[in-house]
Amino acid sequence: MGLENLMSDALICLDLQVDDKTGAIHELADLMEADQRLKSKRKYIKAVMKREAESTTGIGMGVAIPHGKSKGVREPSLAFGRSQAGIAYDSLDGKPVNLMFLIAVPESSNDTHLKILSQLSRKLMHEEVRQKLLQMQTKDELYEILGDEG
Amino acid sequence: MKRIVAITSCSTGIAHTYMAAEALEVAAKEIGHEIKVETQGSIGAENVLSKEDIEQADAVVIAASTTVDKSRFKGKRLLEVDVNEAIQDGESLLERSFDAPIYQKGSDTGEKVNSEKQGKEGKSSFQEVYSHLMTGVSYMIPFVVAGGLLIALSFAFGGINAEGELASSLKELGDIAMTLMWPALGGYVAFSIASRPGLVPGMVAGMLASSMDAGFLGSMVGGFLAGYTIVILRKWIRLPKNFSGLLPILILPLLSVLISGLIFIYVIGGPLIALNDGLTGWLNGLTGINSILLGLILGGMMAIDLAGPIGKAAYFFGVASLTNLSQGEVSTVMAAVMVAGMVPPLAMALSSTIIGKDRYTLEQREAGKSAWVLGFSFISEGAIPFAVADPIRVLPSVTVGAAITGALSMLFGTGIAVPHGGFFVFFIPGAVEGVLLYVLALAVGVAVSGILVTVLKKPIHTSVETDSRVQ
Repeated sequence: MGLENLMSDALICLDLQVDDKTGAIHELADLMEADQRLKSKRKYIKAVMKREAESTTGIGMGVAIPHGKSKGVREPSLAFGRSQAGIAYDSLDGKPVNLMFLIAVPESSNDTHLKILSQLSRKLMHEEVRQKLLQMQTKDELYEILGDEG
Repeated sequence: MKRIVAITSCSTGIAHTYMAAEALEVAAKEIGHEIKVETQGSIGAENVLSKEDIEQADAVVIAASTTVDKSRFKGKRLLEVDVNEAIQDGESLLERSFDAPIYQKGSDTGEKVNSEKQGKEGKSSFQEVYSHLMTGVSYMIPFVVAGGLLIALSFAFGGINAEGELASSLKELGDIAMTLMWPALGGYVAFSIASRPGLVPGMVAGMLASSMDAGFLGSMVGGFLAGYTIVILRKWIRLPKNFSGLLPILILPLLSVLISGLIFIYVIGGPLIALNDGLTGWLNGLTGINSILLGLILGGMMAIDLAGPIGKAAYFFGVASLTNLSQGEVSTVMAAVMVAGMVPPLAMALSSTIIGKDRYTLEQREAGKSAWVLGFSFISEGAIPFAVADPIRVLPSVTVGAAITGALSMLFGTGIAVPHGGFFVFFIPGAVEGVLLYVLALAVGVAVSGILVTVLKKPIHTSVETDSRVQ
């Protein structure tokens, strides 16, 4: 689904070290910054936190999708972090988060990228997709799992 | 199967909008309904609902954390919740939407945040109780259908004692399904009131009612007791944060079963058993003119609002009579209710596709074709397209026929072992007692209604018909 436009191996972390929400968001944002995808990490994080303050993006089922739309973003990006131990995230169902997708969208973004993100969001609602993400061994598998049509 | 239309929307329009849409689509598939979801995200509106979509929908769900324009949905059952609720629990959301209040334009202006709560408070307590009951019954009915038919088949194969290996296996399956209808009723009444935690005490109460012989009434009241017990417990129990995880897994199940179960056994069980016995005795004792009168009234009720609240009340009554039977018996009341409910769509089909074609538009004649199928399947709603177009002539006509059919069914003493299935259960051996007379009762009612409505309606002029064809 054109995921490679949004992410690269550099934006994937299969074993997040932190166990709290803010720490995890920062860790993934660091990956984005290192990959030249942000103009201003500070501005971007601010947008993400503002969105979190409205309501948590920990949607339950071990999934969180913090996201922010900000001038501090250079190009639309998606970072993925996984934590087998779980991250404390004040999710809707109160459970820790194992799968985290950090989404960065510039102030003006074209629809193609938004479409890709909307398809990603839909996929995450399926139990078998979440299971595969929890069990995958390599970064390549991520593209396969999320690229599956259906 | 029902049709639902939905709109999802969230503040940034990037992720939640689509997750909610997907969750609703998955949930609808899961429980066998049809859904179309319009997503209002940052890409703009996609999969936009057409006028026809909205017209055909039984309910509207709006799952949004932004303000959504609702003017399109005037006159529809509309449930509005936060976008997260759709992601979390799509199924119960969809179930609840069928009993949501009807949206009136201008009834809310911009107040969005707590509209779900307001909607609930706005509902009269009667409507609320009624919607919980409907949820319970709708979950129970498939059990009764499966169980009733299997038991009927076992008698057909193995005689009244279900002798023989196949027959006794069928009987065992049927018995299990029949036994499970009580926990299904109690459990899902409580589920409707208190969502997931209600299921355990509700099912226990339903089972308890069954073992205490408190029947339909008992399971129903037990379900309400269990559901409201959870509501009260949730209000009163305050735990330190570290222990809050224990609430759903240990404390609520234990306390709710304990409290509602003991109240049921020691307080309300006795009166309920008496009431249930009384009702059963009264039904069984009903003979002659009284039973015909009952058939007449129930039959009329089945048609007068086409599966609306009045029809549902008559239907519940039929189901209740069925569940109080001992095994191998059939219910005359259920038989009258079902066959009467088949009259409206069949009568309209008869009138619009055979005897009074010139009185209907092309679209209506098409609707008439599907009304045949819906009627034979005992889906009274098949007559709705006609009733909406011309209620003054259609509703009285079908009510008269349905009442006659109901009365005839009681007069003939025909009985049935299942609560649904329409014409298709006629052919299953043992499911219907007196099947030929049953068909006769149906045919008479359909003919009366069909002729009545044809006479009342005037032929439409060709020009009008061409117009409607152009549209």
